[in-house]
Amino acid sequence: MAGRGKLIAVIGDEDTCTGFLLGGIGELNKNRKPNFLVVEKDTSITEIEETFKSFLARNDIGIILINQFIAEMIRHAIDGHMQSIPAVLEIPSKEHPYDASKDSILRRAKGMFSAEDFR
Amino acid sequence: MGISELEESSLLLDEKLMRFMDQLELLEEKRAALNSLIEQGWFSMSKARYSMGNKCVSALQYASEIEPLVYVHARTLDTGDVDFCTERVKQKCGNEDGKDAKSIEDIGPQEKGVRRRIKPKKHITEEEASEEASCEKAPEVTPVRKHDPNPQQDPLKWFGILVPQTLKQAQSSFKQVVELSAEIATLQTAVLNSRQELKHSMKDKHILQEESSAAQLDNRAD
Repeated sequence: MAGRGKLIAVIGDEDTCTGFLLGGIGELNKNRKPNFLVVEKDTSITEIEETFKSFLARNDIGIILINQFIAEMIRHAIDGHMQSIPAVLEIPSKEHPYDASKDSILRRAKGMFSAEDFR
Repeated sequence: MGISELEESSLLLDEKLMRFMDQLELLEEKRAALNSLIEQGWFSMSKARYSMGNKCVSALQYASEIEPLVYVHARTLDTGDVDFCTERVKQKCGNEDGKDAKSIEDIGPQEKGVRRRIKPKKHITEEEASEEASCEKAPEVTPVRKHDPNPQQDPLKWFGILVPQTLKQAQSSFKQVVELSAEIATLQTAVLNSRQELKHSMKDKHILQEESSAAQLDNRAD
C-alpha cells in the first residue's frame, strides 16, 4: 500500500496485548516479526529493552504503548527517547494502576516548574 | 522602551503558560478516559473468559497470520507539533460475512465427489481403468477452492465463530482506546513542545530583565 500509515506497537501483559490485538493493531510482518511483546513472568528485562529499542528503530511504528510497570523496568531507555515519532504512551495494567507521577512525559512537563527554571 | 518590551514578553509568557496548562488539563482528562476504557475492556474480557473457559482467551489463540486493521498517520505541523490520527482498514462487511459463511461451509474434503483408492495395477480390469480415468479427470473440472492469503480477518474470530457478546464489548472498548491513544500521543508532543517554548520565552525574559535592571542602575549612577 503506497499511502500506508504507521503501526501501533504494544509491550504489555497478556491481557493488555490480547485487548489491543482484538482492537486490530497486531501485525506479523514478512520476517514474522510481531509489533507486540507479551511480557510474562519469566521475560527478562534485557528482552524487554531490546524489543523496545527494536520498536524505536523500526520506521513503520508510530506509537508504542507500554504498561507502566514494564516501563519502570526500562525507565532509562524511555527517558533517553527524545523524538516525537514514535510516541511512547504509558498505560495502566491490571495489577498496577496508572500513576501520573511516574510518567516520563509528565515528569518532563513537571520539570518545567522546578526551582532551576525560575532562576 | 525596555519596560514595554519586558511587559510584552511577560504577556507572551503568560499566554504560553495558559496554553500549556490547558493542554495538561486536556491530557489529564483524556488519560482518565483512556484508563477507564482499558479497565472496561479488561472487565469485558474477564467476563468472556468466565463464560468461555480460562484458557480460551489468551495469547495461545492468536492467529499465525496477523494483519493490522488500524494504521496511524503522523503529520508534522508547522508549529513543530506532530498530529497522530488513526485510520481503520475498511472491512467489507456484507461480502466478508458471506465469504466467511461460505468458507465455513467449505470446510471438509477439498476435492468434491467420492475418492477411490488406487488399487495395484495387476488387479485392475479394463472397466475399472476407464472408470478411474473419469474419476481422475473430475477434479480438473471442479473449481479448486482459492485460499485467500490475506484474509484481513477480524481478530474476534481467533477466539471462535460464536464468541460471547462480552468479548465483542471488549473489542469495541479497545478500538476506542486505540483512537484515544492517538489523540493522547498528539497531546503529549504538544505538551513537550509548549514546554520547550516556555523555557525559551523564560530565558528571553530573564535576559530582558537583566538588561532593564542594568539600565536602571546606570541611570541612577548618572
